[in-house]
Formats: sequence, structure tokens, C-alpha cells
Amino acid sequence: MAIDPQPEALAAGGPDAAFPPAPEGVSGERGPWYLAYKRFIRNRLAVAFLILFFLIIVFVLAAPLWANNVAHTGPNQSHTLEKLHVNGEVHEVVTPEGRPIGPQWFGAGGKFFLGADSRLGRDEMVRLMYGGRTSLFIGVVSGLITTIAAVILGLLAGYYKGWVDAIIARTLDILWSLPVLLFGIALGVSLAVGGLKIGPLTIEGGSIWIPIFVISIFTVPYIARPIRGEVLALGEKEFVEAAIAQGAGSLRVMFGEILPNLASTIIVFFALNIANNMLFEAALSFLGAGVQPPNSSWGTMISIGEELLTTQPLLAIIPGVMILMTVLSLNIVGDGLRDALDPRSKVRLEARAGMVEREGASV
Amino acid sequence: MKKLFVVIAVIGLAAVSSLALAACGGGSSSSGGSSGGGKEGGILNATYASFPDYMDPQLSYTAEGWTAMGEVYIPLLTYKHAEGVEGSEVVPGLAKEMPKITNGGKTYTLFLRPGLKYSDGTPVKASDFTHTVERLFKVNSGGSPFFTAIVGAEKFAETKTGGIPGIKTNDKAGEIAITLTKPRGTFTNELGLMFTAPVPPNTPDEDQSASPPPGTGPYMITKSQPGRGWEYERNPYWAKANSKAMPEYPSGHVDGAKITVIRNPQTQVNDIEQGKYDWMQNPVPAARYTEVKEKYEGSQFRNEPTISTYYFWMNTTKPPFNDVKVRQAVNYAVDPAALERIYSGQIKGTQQILPPGMPGYKKFELYPHDVNKAKELIKEANPSDMDITVWTDTESPNNEAGEYYEGVLKEIGFNTTLKQINADNYFTVIGNQSTPNLDTGWSDWFEDYPHPNDFFQPLLSGESILQTNNGNFANFNEPALNKEVSKLGEEQLGPEQEQKYSEMDENVMKMAPWAPYGTRSLDTFVSSHVNLENVIYNPTFFEYLTSFEFNE
Repeated sequence: MAIDPQPEALAAGGPDAAFPPAPEGVSGERGPWYLAYKRFIRNRLAVAFLILFFLIIVFVLAAPLWANNVAHTGPNQSHTLEKLHVNGEVHEVVTPEGRPIGPQWFGAGGKFFLGADSRLGRDEMVRLMYGGRTSLFIGVVSGLITTIAAVILGLLAGYYKGWVDAIIARTLDILWSLPVLLFGIALGVSLAVGGLKIGPLTIEGGSIWIPIFVISIFTVPYIARPIRGEVLALGEKEFVEAAIAQGAGSLRVMFGEILPNLASTIIVFFALNIANNMLFEAALSFLGAGVQPPNSSWGTMISIGEELLTTQPLLAIIPGVMILMTVLSLNIVGDGLRDALDPRSKVRLEARAGMVEREGASV
Repeated sequence: MKKLFVVIAVIGLAAVSSLALAACGGGSSSSGGSSGGGKEGGILNATYASFPDYMDPQLSYTAEGWTAMGEVYIPLLTYKHAEGVEGSEVVPGLAKEMPKITNGGKTYTLFLRPGLKYSDGTPVKASDFTHTVERLFKVNSGGSPFFTAIVGAEKFAETKTGGIPGIKTNDKAGEIAITLTKPRGTFTNELGLMFTAPVPPNTPDEDQSASPPPGTGPYMITKSQPGRGWEYERNPYWAKANSKAMPEYPSGHVDGAKITVIRNPQTQVNDIEQGKYDWMQNPVPAARYTEVKEKYEGSQFRNEPTISTYYFWMNTTKPPFNDVKVRQAVNYAVDPAALERIYSGQIKGTQQILPPGMPGYKKFELYPHDVNKAKELIKEANPSDMDITVWTDTESPNNEAGEYYEGVLKEIGFNTTLKQINADNYFTVIGNQSTPNLDTGWSDWFEDYPHPNDFFQPLLSGESILQTNNGNFANFNEPALNKEVSKLGEEQLGPEQEQKYSEMDENVMKMAPWAPYGTRSLDTFVSSHVNLENVIYNPTFFEYLTSFEFNE
């Protein structure tokens, strides 16, 4: 069991009100969310990385500002033949031998701050900011899809047990036992060419929704399985029996009684899942099965930079460091949230650790 | 020591057999030829960046495929084992001598050399040629337009039954007589292409890439795993039969070869530097080009000029590219100078169909780079459909060329989607008319033989538009041009014809079915174990497997 049921607190603010302090006035009573908030604030490391994460978000959201006012170029605009005036000297963005210019910092008024990305002469800084948007967007959206699907599946399996559980749990087992990255590449490559049609829903081949779709499918078991376990345990609790005795229907029990008790687990998993999904996206894009050119993501940028690793190592290192910082901050914030929300946590999140290792090895 | 040994060897050779010397002369190339220093035997470990389009002599129409199969399937005629202009000379292959041309240039008579055998031991018969040409049509090969001039071939291409009456053979005498509907100035060149290299008559009429049929060359393909690689061994019947029947054809130095597809050209370069592989078929990637050239030029690296055109095609059958103004706008917008850099200087910018070095080439400049003019033209044309898909393959730097092109199109107002297709099946995908959204994209063309017809006929003539394995990606079908192409094709190439081809070049570019951007120089990069000096780079078949030998 995660936290004691506090339906009133949830009714007041719902899970969204996770961080603000509980409303004052009820003398002496502190809600579990408030306590969790206090505990999280005391965790300096987690707070520091939460701030870092927000800074990264601000960085990527500022992409159009930087592109329009400083770099004066778009992320996919090539400048192969252009010349750059740096401190009175004239440099070529791409040399006739095809070597892109290195970081100029503010030498050219912010143009090519981090240099050009390839022989196409695109502004690395602008691509980094827009690429970060893509990477974070894919991470967050696929995280949302995964979490919602996993919660629904976990609730159904854990609550109904029996054959419903058997089907869902075994399907998850099968998904779990697939070599995720290989399968993701195969699916990503084939969908990137042909696009996807499910009933009325059509996704174009080069769409960003292809990697989102692929990633969402494969990460469901990593959340659904632990949630199912927790639902199984919660289902035996007195408050559930009480609700049933009062005549509550299955949906009411699942979503009204059990779900609020899963809130802390879901929040923690959501944060960690975003990090995993970003790594997954980077791996897929690096291998050409994720974000399709000419759009950038941090994974595709590493892939382009790899070609010039010997002469311009920064091109691969910078997006790599961005991924590292984002994933690290999400992981530390996630761990901090877990400690804060559930100091007696029994959920050790082995699943997550296992997955990170697996992906890390293949990248 | 080594040099002295070589001299003695050469003198000895000359003394023993003038015939062998002649063969050496044939095999030797402008870059030094048989000056030697090599040893016989060994297995060549080589790498390609992609698997050829087909591992089937009747179907393959790419440099990769022809390089891979050039020494496995020998046509009736073939190209001299030499470089440059000399390597464009057509010489007898399986045929005893060059064809006798009679009947006003319409009948070609050839005789098979006696005693030829396929690598499975089956004797080669004159009638196999008929089967092979029929097979070419039955599998809808991209090379079939070269042979529709044979009497009855056009009908056979449609019905696929009833035989081709224009080919008459006599197995006993080894005689093959081909009658054409009209004279064709390039027909000997075309008989030297691999499309009609005989295969046994029982070869199934479908793609044999996974188990290539027996051939007649010094090597045979023993194993083929599409997408991954293939292996060669010496053809046992080469030494026993064929080499005696055609002594001037080189037998090769290595005992076999193993080809591995490695999709990352960076890895290929590293592996060759470390000696893990002996040769890479595809050019050194643009990112490593300068470095490799500086380090290995002369010893392991050599630039190879080619007669080629790199271009973007525009599908002229549907909006927006059915409007000549739109196509001209694209030509104004594409800047060959930018693409020269994207190819690290391995491309020289041109904006016409015929490349330098091709008879009939005359430089002209119709579309000096001018983006504003392009935008104006688009505005004037006001196309009904501005949503286009841009196609390119994944091999660097073609993928970047495609990205550049997409950016250019976006700049002049199109809404673009970029599709990058794996290089293994890029041309199969864009050559299939049922692929959706074939609007515009990248392509290249290397001459099959030094005749301007080889650019206009397969790539821009309406007759060459095929449902699958199409090569006329622009689906360009201009009656006046079709007529001129087929008329000029009947004549032997002379100054007058060259002048006409040069006018044709300019006229076609005014209609702008393509936006050409350059002519390519390629390269040969081998490990330190391989004797680079003797590797022959032929303009049609590229590196000959028989010319590879290991250093002592």
C-alpha cells in the first residue's frame, strides 16, 4: 500500500495539487501531499535537479526567440555557401572540402554559436534547441500515453483478476520479453517509409507520432506490471471491501477508490518513464528509425555528429550532454519524488533500472 | 629485388608467349597495368555499403550490381578490361568475333566460341541467348528498352509468349542472328551490357537474387544473402573449358571473394585502414574524403573520374511539376556550387543532361542560380498542388543532397515531405509507378557506354517509361524528343550526330524535366594488402574482380 486513503484531500485538489501546501485552516492537520512536499523540499539534490530540468525546458522553449532574434535562421535552413564575418575576419560556413565551421560563440553576433552541424551548414545551436523540443515532446507525450495505458491495463488486470488478468499479464510478458530496441528499429524503419493506418487514424511516414507510437507501445509493461501488482494488493484492503459493501460498481471502485491510492506510484513512474523514453527516442533516432530528417532531435544530432567525430567532436558531444542532463535530472527528481511520496516504499523500481541498463548497453 | 624479379618475369612471359603478352596488354590499364608485384591466390575480403538492387544479371541496373556480377556473367560482347576511353571499347566476349552487320545495319550475326560451359557444367548453346533475351522481357527488366528494337520484341514484351522471331539461332554452329526493325547505332554497345549475358535456359523467370544462376565468367557466386553479403569462388569450368575458349579474357588472381554489406561507410574506412577488409566498393564518405586522400593517395587510394550526371528528377505527369515554369524555377533555385561542398568537392557542378567527357557534350548555362527568379516563376505558374514528397536514399552524401534539395523547395514555397529510402531498394521503390507520391527526388546516372543515346533513351524517352524498374523517373514523354532519340539512335555516331545531341541536351534542359547538379568523381580505396596499381577501373563495369591481387 502506498499511502493511506485520504479521499477528502484528493477531492479538494486532486492529484494535480500534489505540490502546493495543503489548505491551511484545518488546525494541526497536515495532508500527506503537504508532508511529501516538505520531504521533497528537504532533498537538496532533487530540488537542484528539478531546477535544472526547468532550465532545460526554458532553454528549448526559447528556441524561436533565439532563432529569430539571435541566429536569424531556422533549424532546417542550410547555409552551405554563406560567409560569416567574425571579428572582422571572413570565414566560410562550410569549406570547399566540406568541413563545417566550429563554435563561434558570440563572435558573429550569436550566429553559429555552436558552429554548423554538417556540410549543409545548419546552425547547431538552433537545431539543438528545436531538437530538444522534439526530444522532450516525444518523451513527455509517449510518457503520458504509456502511463495512461499502463494504469488502465494495470487496474483492469489487478482488479478483475482471472482470465482478464491472464490475458493482460501474459500480453505484457510477451511485450516485455521482446528485444525492445531491435523491434523498435524494425517497426520504426518500416513505419517511417510507409506510414501507419489504424482505422480512421492515419500517421504520415515522416511524422513525429511514429516514434511516439513505437516508444509508447514498448514501454507499457514497465509501468503496467508494477501497477497491476499494487492493485492486486490494494484490492484486498478493507476500504475496497467497504466500498463494494456500500454497493459501489466496479468502475467506481477502480477509479474512485483504488486509483487515488496509486497516485504517488504513477507520478514517480511518469517522471522516470519520460527519461527512459527520451533515451529510447535517442537510440531510435541515432539508428535512423526515430525522428526523420531533416527534423532534428538530440538523437539524430548525435548521429549526424558521429560522422564528424574526428574533426568536430563537439557536434556529437553537445546533444549527448543535453540528453545526459535531462535524463539525469528526471531520474533524480523521480527518485526524490518516490522518497518524498512514499518513504516506506516497497516499490524498488527494479524494472526501470533494468530497462535503462538494457538501452544504455545498446546505444 | 622485387623490381628485378618483375622485369625477369615480364621478359620471360614475352619470350614464351606472344599471345599471353597480348592478353596482358588487354588487361593492362593506363595506370600502370601489369607492372606487377602481386601474388596469386587468397580470398578478397571486400565490403559494399548496400546490397545491389538485384543479384540477377538480367535485372540489375546499378553500378553495384554490375561491379558485383561483371566477372560472373559474360555477355556475347564485352568491354575491354581497361580504364578510361580504352575501357569503353567493345570487344568479343562469348562471341568469337565482333558481329557481322548486314541488311543495311539491321542484322547482326555472331558465333559463339566453341566449348563454353556454365559454372554448373552445362554447355552454353546459341539458343540460350534467345532464352536470356526472353527472360529479360519476362522479368520486366529496366534494361529491356535497349532490346525492343529486335523484330517481334515489342510484342513479346506485352504478351510474354510466342517467342521473339527476330532472334534466330543454330546450336550446332553456335550461330546467333539478330534482326532489328530499324538500324541501331548503339547495338554493339548494348550487346556488351550484362542484360543479355547468357544464363542456362532453365533459369526461372523471376528475380534470382537469393540464388544467382550459373554464369560463364572466371568466378561464380556461391552464396548470396540479400541485404547482407555474398561470396565468390573460382568457376571450376573456367579453367577446364572457358579460359581455353577465350584466352584473352583475364582469369583473375584471387581464389575467391567474400563481400559483406556494411552500412556505415565510416566503419568501412576504419576497417580498411586496419586491414580487416581489402576493398570498399562505394566511395569514401564525404566526411573522411580529404583525410583519406591526403594519407593514402597513390598507395591505397585513387581518384576515378567518371562520366556521370547527378540530378533531381521532377515527375512531369502531375502537378506541380507538369508545369514547365515550375521545373525551370527549381533549376534556378538549385545551386550546384552548394552541392559541390555537400559532396566535399567530389562533384563538379553542371546543369545539363550530358556530362563532360561524353560525346556531344557542349557546356551551356541556362539557369544561373537565382532564387528570386525562381520565386517569380512559381508565382506566375501558381500550381494547384504545392504539397510534394521529396525522395532520396540514405547513403551519404546523397541523403544530405536530398535534405538540401528539400530545403530549396521549401524556400521557394512548397510544402515538402522528405522520404529517405534505404539505398538497397531506393531505385526499385522510385522505379515502381505504384509507389505513392513520386513527385521529385534525387538520382544519378553513370554511362553504360560512351554514347549520348545512353542518357536520352533510357532516362528521358517516353518509350522507356515502365511500370516497374522504370528509369525515366521524370516520366518525361515528349513526342518530338522520342522521335529524335530513336532517329539518332539508328545512325552511327559522327560529328553531325554529336552536334544534334548537343542541341537535344539544351532543348531538353529548356523543358527542364531534371535539375542536374553535377558530375561525380569516385575513388578506389583498398587495404595495404592489395596491389592498387593493377586494379582496373572500367567506365562500364567499374572495378574488375579479376584485377585484384594481393601484394607479395
